[in-house]
Amino acid sequence: MAEVGEIIEGCRLPVLRRNQDNEDEWPLAEILSVKDISGRKLFYVHYIDFNKRLDEWVTHERLDLKKIQFPKKEAKTPTKNGLPGSRPGSPEREVPASAQASGKTLPIPVQITLRFNLPKEREAIPGGEPDQPLSSSSCLQPNHRSTKRKVEVVSPATPVPSETAPTSVFPQNGSARRAVAAQPGRKRKSNCLGTDEDSQDSSDGIPSAPRMTGSLVSDRSHDDIVTRMKNIECIELGRHRLKPWYFSPYPQELTTLPVLYLCEFCLKYGRSLKCLQRHLTKCDLRHPPGNEIYRKGTISFFEIDGRKNKSYSQNLCLLAKCFLDHKTLYYDTDPFLFYVMTEYDCKGFHIVGYFSKEKESTEDYNVACILTLPPYQRRGYGKLLIEFSYELSKVEGKTGTPEKPLSDLGLLSYRSYWSQTILEILMGLKSESGERPQITINEISEITSIKKEDVISTLQYLNLINYYKGQYILTLSEDIVDGHERAMLKRLLRIDSKCLHFTPKDWSKRGKW
Amino acid sequence: MSKLSFRARALDAAKPLPIYRGKDMPDLNDCVSINRAVPQMPTGMEKEEESEHHLQRAISAQQVFREKKESMVIPVPEAESNVNYYNRLYKGEFKQPKQFIHIQPFNLDNEQPDYDMDSEDETLLNRLNRKMEIKPLQFEIMIDRLEKASSNQLVTLQEAKLLLNEDDYLIKAVYDYWVRKRKNCRGPSLIPQIKQEKRDGSTNNDPYVAFRRRTEKMQTRKNRKNDEASYEKMLKLRREFSRAITILEMIKRREKTKRELLHLTLEVVEKRYHLGDYGGEILNEVKINRSEKELYATPATLHNGNHHKVQECKTKHPHHLSLKEEASDVVRQKKKYPKKPKAEALITSQQPTPETLPVINKSDIKQYDFHSSDEDEFPQVPSPVSEPEEENDPDGPCAFRRRAGCQYYAPRLDQANHSFDNSELADLDKLRYRHCLTTLTVPRRCIGFARRRIGRGGRVIMDRISTEHDPVLKQIDPEMLNGFSSSSQTIDFSSNFSRTNASSKHCENRLSLSEILSNIRSCRLQCFQPRLLNLQDSDNEECTSRKPGQTVNNKRVSAASVALLNTSKNGISVTGGITEEQFQTHQQQLVQMQRQQLAQLQQKQQSQHSSQQTHPKAQGSSTSDCMSKTLDSASAHFAASAVVSAPVPSRSEVAKEQSTGHNNINGVVQPSGTSKTLYSTNMALSSSPGISAVQLVRTVGHTTTNHLIPALCTSSPQTLPMNNSCLTNAVHLNNVSVVSPVNVHINTRTSAPSPTALKLATVAASMDRVPKVTPSSAISSIARENHEPERLGLNGIAETTVAMEVT
Repeated sequence: MAEVGEIIEGCRLPVLRRNQDNEDEWPLAEILSVKDISGRKLFYVHYIDFNKRLDEWVTHERLDLKKIQFPKKEAKTPTKNGLPGSRPGSPEREVPASAQASGKTLPIPVQITLRFNLPKEREAIPGGEPDQPLSSSSCLQPNHRSTKRKVEVVSPATPVPSETAPTSVFPQNGSARRAVAAQPGRKRKSNCLGTDEDSQDSSDGIPSAPRMTGSLVSDRSHDDIVTRMKNIECIELGRHRLKPWYFSPYPQELTTLPVLYLCEFCLKYGRSLKCLQRHLTKCDLRHPPGNEIYRKGTISFFEIDGRKNKSYSQNLCLLAKCFLDHKTLYYDTDPFLFYVMTEYDCKGFHIVGYFSKEKESTEDYNVACILTLPPYQRRGYGKLLIEFSYELSKVEGKTGTPEKPLSDLGLLSYRSYWSQTILEILMGLKSESGERPQITINEISEITSIKKEDVISTLQYLNLINYYKGQYILTLSEDIVDGHERAMLKRLLRIDSKCLHFTPKDWSKRGKW
Repeated sequence: MSKLSFRARALDAAKPLPIYRGKDMPDLNDCVSINRAVPQMPTGMEKEEESEHHLQRAISAQQVFREKKESMVIPVPEAESNVNYYNRLYKGEFKQPKQFIHIQPFNLDNEQPDYDMDSEDETLLNRLNRKMEIKPLQFEIMIDRLEKASSNQLVTLQEAKLLLNEDDYLIKAVYDYWVRKRKNCRGPSLIPQIKQEKRDGSTNNDPYVAFRRRTEKMQTRKNRKNDEASYEKMLKLRREFSRAITILEMIKRREKTKRELLHLTLEVVEKRYHLGDYGGEILNEVKINRSEKELYATPATLHNGNHHKVQECKTKHPHHLSLKEEASDVVRQKKKYPKKPKAEALITSQQPTPETLPVINKSDIKQYDFHSSDEDEFPQVPSPVSEPEEENDPDGPCAFRRRAGCQYYAPRLDQANHSFDNSELADLDKLRYRHCLTTLTVPRRCIGFARRRIGRGGRVIMDRISTEHDPVLKQIDPEMLNGFSSSSQTIDFSSNFSRTNASSKHCENRLSLSEILSNIRSCRLQCFQPRLLNLQDSDNEECTSRKPGQTVNNKRVSAASVALLNTSKNGISVTGGITEEQFQTHQQQLVQMQRQQLAQLQQKQQSQHSSQQTHPKAQGSSTSDCMSKTLDSASAHFAASAVVSAPVPSRSEVAKEQSTGHNNINGVVQPSGTSKTLYSTNMALSSSPGISAVQLVRTVGHTTTNHLIPALCTSSPQTLPMNNSCLTNAVHLNNVSVVSPVNVHINTRTSAPSPTALKLATVAASMDRVPKVTPSSAISSIARENHEPERLGLNGIAETTVAMEVT
């Protein structure tokens, strides 16, 4: 049993949480941050194996202090610095590793003991580490990695015992991290000790900047304590008040506000309602500042060029970042087009969701980021956005796929869309002259503009592909058919390609995006 | 799955997969899930997130229930949609436009201040408003300017005063307020802004720095290729622009020169005025000296920049009275003759009144016409104006001027030694070295006296001269000359090149056809005749001797006729245009006519000489019974029939000749048409596609009363003295086309010139339309011509290379 005052970042303990069914649960959580507001301590907790969007500030009453597990002291140190660009091996970094491990085989308690044992083991080993050449990090060999991965489960923790010294010596930037990161590799080589894959990746990965294409990051080398925590409490957008899910780089001075006020149409942020009021006297937009390329009923789509309309694109990205974990705003919006879906009422065209798309994608991506704003979620708008993105691909005559990584919601939405779209085709096939209808995967891909790999994965996911009498067949079981029919009854919002007025531009012919 | 004892083939995306419904598969259990055979596709999620509790639950729920279950959705932070002041905040309504919304990207930046006033500002504003009026927007603009002008360092009050165009007190108040507020502000600016990256890279990992500029643009191969292409395009563009500059500079120079010329002209006029040189006599004298010098001194191609080449022929004009009708001319005609001794001789033999000439001739006038775009206007030269010049000495005031690209030959002086039967001929002798009796191959006929010269671009131009003998000469069929051609042609040939004829005999007014023929036969009279192939074949010697020269000649000529098409080409062999058969028939007709009319003609000539009564008569009765009229129409007939029959290939003897003949005709029409030759309106002949240039020269209204003779011809500079009506004043035009100005000849003897005819001619001239007659035919011929430029060249030669024969 620990005192409230002892609770520090990195501690793990069960935290009371109410689930959707209004039941109390005590999932294990990690303390990411502690703050003191007028004498009352608040703890920012991340529920392990829950999505980050559920992270929240809790009071000490919700903490089960009896089961608290303290982080390893050395490992904790860098976290305390709380600096941007915090390093691999910090306790924060351990979380995904452990989650991963637990997700596979080990029950959590075991893992935790492992975790806390491992650093001790390591501690003993690398006495003379700091004198190792710093440049050696680059010489990690692939086969080394693969062998290490097997050990991974038993040695998931990443902290490096000697980390503290370089951290204090080097400034907290990419080069420092790199220098430090060199050591685990070194160590492994000499000691044959396993390391977490994550730390390896981040040490090997390019330290400073994410890749320039796309708008999502999959490597978490930039994950630090700041970006792991939500920074905006509430956003008011038109009629809605949104609780952000993730960090978003709105100007830092605005993060302390209880509510951030956004203009519903130009998405400009203001610090107060008064500011918004004043802004609205000057802003006469009643729709996204782009060209309408689709309209059916109240649903419209607007196309916005990320280069030509920077301020709107940036504001949109800032808003979207609140709900997209992997989105990066590291680079400008120039190479993207933004397709904003709106719903019209007498006040104007209200943003419902959007997706961004690279003007030129080297990897067949037809969507970079896609988002339905929370107030509109679970009403079929997400699928509508996805459908629209494929309609554009059809006009372009290409197949496309969303940029990876997908979020959990993204995966579910896409799978659902793919399943329904493919099943629609399969069930619509009529047998010709008594023969069994048949179709190739490529044909499905061409008809739907869904990339071949996604078609296959969907067929696999639906378990439609079977091997029968020496050939592959597609089987439509009755529950699949029934489920599909029921789902399609609910899917009322559809894109009508006749209402789309879109001519794709050949961006490769322009010097600039 | 364990039943899978064999290795399944890889899943082939291109292979058709049969689709089985559940009920179709009785032995579904025998199916083997391919999950092991086909590698499982990645979900596309981050691994650590993939395993998240809610997702897994949702996935499994979906797998089980095949649809979403309310309880199994992934929980998200709640959102509220109950902002109750929404309607107050977003005032007014927005009507959905019927059209899709289209926005102009650059209209988005309006000049509104980025700063939005907050409630703190509002209190200040209220306080300030007690003393002065300040609107929220005004305040926002002030703050906005202050903010944008200061970075880390705040602007000073002094700077603020410069920045803000407001009352000092207000500025002070707002400034102080701003400074205070800024200090309390935690952000870098009162206008919240996204953190910008810093150049030193220190912000590389700052999570609040967003939207960094991409240092290196992605470059695809396509782009690079594109750049190359566009680079080349740029180079080309540059070249073309510099060429345009050159052209413009040249134009500038030209215009400057023109202005200079204008000034000089003005000066000349002034000087002349002071000298009292109203008649231009002094000027003429000066000019004559100069041009003569030029003429003799420079035998070969001389280039000069004159626009016009005016050739004059001295002719006799018994019927010049007609000109009185033209008011302007009459005025001019009051002028006295040039004092040249050569001209004196003429005067004596001619009627005094009509011969009076304005000394300021066409060329002078034209010289001072400044055209900015100099082509098209020249053909409009009204022909009557130039007519009065005809009495002048050929080397007179409008003596021929050198043209660039033309070859000129010095006249032979030795020709002047011959004696003539009468004074007229004596006079003509002076022209003799210029004109000779000329026959054409197509249409086969004699066109009277003409001289050939080479015009611009090498075209052969025939300058015809009308003589009293014209009616007679017209009856001369080239066939008649055939008999003796072999003997004479050799001489011809030499003359062709020397531009002279050793012995040229005069033609006399009263000469009968037979006399003329005999003259020709005896080589006293030079006759130029184009050669036919068969002729050449007939006597080899002649051929060989002639060939080299002719080819040379041909070259020139062909170049001329092709000039329009811009393909001046080498000369080729010559072929006759209209078959001999056809000519035979015509000839016979002609001979008949000749005989009938010869007597009349001579009578008439005599009467004319004595009284000159024919004129009014002819004028009055343009259509009627004049002898000349009949003759004229006859000749027109001839020409017309020649023309008409020409295009008919079946008649011709030699296929080759036919085709060329065809082309000949077209070829001739063609250039004249496109070069804006003047057609007389009434040319019935021209309606047929095949009109030779020569015909054009002397087309006579067949049915109509007017006897216009537009004297455009392509001829080589050869001369024979023969006088009939007027001067052929060939004005040479500069660029595009050679157009010898049309002279409306009034054939004294043969046809009475009617004033209407004259007028028509002028009209035609001024209108300067190409296919006045039959556009379609002309065009068709044009088209044909264009396809066969070379042939055209040939034809031109055939037309114009005319052998000279001396009688």
